[in-house]
Amino acid sequence: MQIATEVAAGKAVLNLTGRFDFHSHRDFRSAYETALEEAGVREIAINFKQVDYLDSSALGMLLLLREKSEAAGKSVSLIGLQGMVKQVLEIANFGKLFSIQA
Amino acid sequence: MMSGIMQGREATHVTDEAIAASERNPGEDQIPFRMKILIADDTPTNVKQLEVVAEKLGHQVVVALDGESAVQAFKTTAPDLVFMDIMMPGMDGISAVKIIRGLPAEKWTPIIFYSALDRMQDIVNGLEAGGDDYLAKPASTQLLKAKINSYARQIALQSKVHGFSRELKRWREESEEQTRLGAHVMTRLTDASGLRDQMIRYFNLPAETFSGDLLCAARAPGDVLNVLLADAAGHGLAAALSAMPLTQAFYSMTAKGFPLPSIAEELNRKLKAILPADRFVAATLASIDVRNQTVEVWNGGNPDAFFLSTEGSVAMRWTSRHPPLGILPEKLFSGITETVVFQVPGDLVLSSDGLTEAENRAGEWLGIDGVVDLLANVHDSNERFQYLLNGVDAHLEGQKARDDISCLMVSVPIDRRRQFRFSTPRMINQSQFAEWRLDLSYNANELRYIDVVPAALGLITQVQALKDHQGALFLVLSELFNNALDHGLLGLDSITKSWIGGFEIYLQQRSERLARLSEGRIDLSFLLHQDESRAVLDISVNDSGPGFDFTNQVDDVDALSSTNRQAYGRGIPLVKSLCEQIVYSGTGNKAWCRYVVSDLVLDKLAEDADPKTPDSGMPGDVDLTLF
Repeated sequence: MQIATEVAAGKAVLNLTGRFDFHSHRDFRSAYETALEEAGVREIAINFKQVDYLDSSALGMLLLLREKSEAAGKSVSLIGLQGMVKQVLEIANFGKLFSIQA
Repeated sequence: MMSGIMQGREATHVTDEAIAASERNPGEDQIPFRMKILIADDTPTNVKQLEVVAEKLGHQVVVALDGESAVQAFKTTAPDLVFMDIMMPGMDGISAVKIIRGLPAEKWTPIIFYSALDRMQDIVNGLEAGGDDYLAKPASTQLLKAKINSYARQIALQSKVHGFSRELKRWREESEEQTRLGAHVMTRLTDASGLRDQMIRYFNLPAETFSGDLLCAARAPGDVLNVLLADAAGHGLAAALSAMPLTQAFYSMTAKGFPLPSIAEELNRKLKAILPADRFVAATLASIDVRNQTVEVWNGGNPDAFFLSTEGSVAMRWTSRHPPLGILPEKLFSGITETVVFQVPGDLVLSSDGLTEAENRAGEWLGIDGVVDLLANVHDSNERFQYLLNGVDAHLEGQKARDDISCLMVSVPIDRRRQFRFSTPRMINQSQFAEWRLDLSYNANELRYIDVVPAALGLITQVQALKDHQGALFLVLSELFNNALDHGLLGLDSITKSWIGGFEIYLQQRSERLARLSEGRIDLSFLLHQDESRAVLDISVNDSGPGFDFTNQVDDVDALSSTNRQAYGRGIPLVKSLCEQIVYSGTGNKAWCRYVVSDLVLDKLAEDADPKTPDSGMPGDVDLTLF
C-alpha cells in the first residue's frame, strides 16, 4: 500500500492506495504518527478512494489511530469510502466510532 | 616422511577488539570472518607459506601432512576452508577430498586444490572429486591473501545465513508446538457438548492450522437455545486466543438464564478489559425460544444473520447494528437486540465474514446472497446445509481460503403438539431436609438494571434440593415476575402481543417504560418446607402496582390449547400446570404458588424398591402440551 500525505489548513489527509492489510502496518503507523506529532494538525483524514481491499487488521490499525489521536486531542475522519471498503466498514459499524464523510 | 596433525598456533595478535575495530574501520586487512583453515600438504615450505599468510590475516590454522590425516583433521576440527595438495604420501589429495565430500555436512566447506600439477586434466579431476577451486603452485603471497579474503567474505555470509536458518528452524518448531497446544485447547473449548444439539448444524474451516472463529451453544433454563458465533480479528493462534475469554462467560450466563443483552454486555466488558486497542471480536448472539416462537439476535460486526423459511424465502435479516465486541467502553456499548416472532418453520443462519468473503479464482466473493441462494435450493435442513458446504467448496475452486470460514445453522420447528419434559427431581434425603426461607425486595432503581429472575434463581438453586428443578422454577418465576413487572408496575397490555408484529412493539414499550420507572417495588419470597409427607416450595410475588382482574385468567386453562398465535395470557396457565396451586389475592397484585419438590413418602418407598427404575411415574415429571 502507498501512502501520500497532504497537509493543508490544519488538516492532514493520508491518501492510501492499494491493499490495506497486515503488511501495511509499519507504513501506516509511521504516516499517522508524523501527522499526530505535527502541532498544527488538528484533524487527520484517511482517504480510502484508491483502496481496493481492507482486512480486519486494517480495522485494528484504525482503532489504534483513533485511540492515539484521542489522546493527542485530534480528530479522525474516514473519507472516500467506496465498494468493498465501504461494505466492510459498515458491517463493523465504524460509523459509530469515526466521523465518516463521502 | 612423518605423518600426523600439527595444530597451528593461535594468531594471538588478533583479538576480538581488533576484529571489532577492523569492522568499524574497513581497511585492506580487515577479516569479515575468522576462519579455521585446514592446510594439507607434505612439503613444510608450502605449509609455512600458507600458514604465515593465513595467520597474518587473523585466521586459525590446522595442518595435516597426508591425505589420511587430512580426512581425520576435517572430521575433528570442522574447518571453514581447506587447502589441499594433490601429491602426498599414502592417500593423495583427490582421494581425501572424495572421502571428505562423502561425510555428512551441515555447512558448505570450500576446498581449494593447491598443487604443482597444473595440466587441464589435473584441474578437472580435482574439481570433479569435489574441489571448489584450483590454485597452481607456487602462488604469490598476494594471490593467496586475495583468495583467502574472498573465501572469508563468502563464508561470513554463509555463516550468517546458516545462523538465520537455524533460528528460523527453532522458531518454526516452537511455533508448531504452540499451534499444536493451541489447537488442542481450542478444540476442547469449541467442541462443547452444546453444539451437539439436534437443532444445530455447523462447520468451522480454518485458514491455518486452527480457526480463530469460535462457535458455542447451550441451553438456558426453560429450554431456550443460546448460540454464539464469534470471529476474532485475524486468524490462527492470536485470533483464537482473543476469542477464548468469551466461552466461559457465555456458558455460565446462559446456564443462569441471563437475557441476551446482558450476555452481550458482559462479553464486551470482558474483551475490552483484556484485548489491546487494535484487537476485537465480531460476534453474533442468538436466542431461540421455540416455546414462545421467538428469535432474538445481537449482531456486532458479522455478516447478516437471517431466518430462511423451509420454503426458501428470507423471512428476516439481522444486519450488524453494533461495532464488534471489545472496542466500546461499557458506557457506550449497546446490548440492544432485535426479536421477532416466527410464524413458519425454518433455519436461522449465522456466519463469519470468511464465508461471505470466500473468493473464487476470479476474486469474486460468495456474498450473503450467494449463501442464501445455496441454502434456498433445497428445503430439508440437513440437505440444505450439505448443499451450502459443497457450494462453498465449489466456489473456492480448490484455492486455500484466506480467512476462517464458519457457519452455524439452527433448525427452528413449529410444533403444535410438542412435549416438554422436565428432569425428574433427584430424591432428597430426609435428614438433609430442613425449612428454608428467602425474602428479596427490589425497588424501582434496582428493577431498572438488575436481571431479577436469574439473580433470584441463582440464589434459590444453591439449595441442593432445588438444583434439579432449575428449568421448571425458571419458568414459574419468570412468568410471575414478568407479570408483576410488565403488567403490575409498567402497565403494559399483553393484548398488544397478539397483533402481527405486536410482540416487537410490546418489547419496545417495555424497555422504554422500564427506563423511566421511578417508583414501585416487587417483593419475592421463597419458603421451602415440609407439607405433610412432601417437600414443597412456596413462592410469593407481590408488586406495588394497581393489580388486575385475575378471576378469569386462572381458570382459563383452555388458553393452553387455544390458537397458535395467541401468545398472550399464556403465562398463568403455564404456572398453574407446573405448580400444585396458584392463588391471586389483594387487587391481583399478590401471587402465591406452591411447587412440589418431592414426595418424601414416595422417595422412601422408591429407595426400598427397585433402584433401577426410580423415575417411572414420579411426581415432578411434567409433560406439557403447548399450542
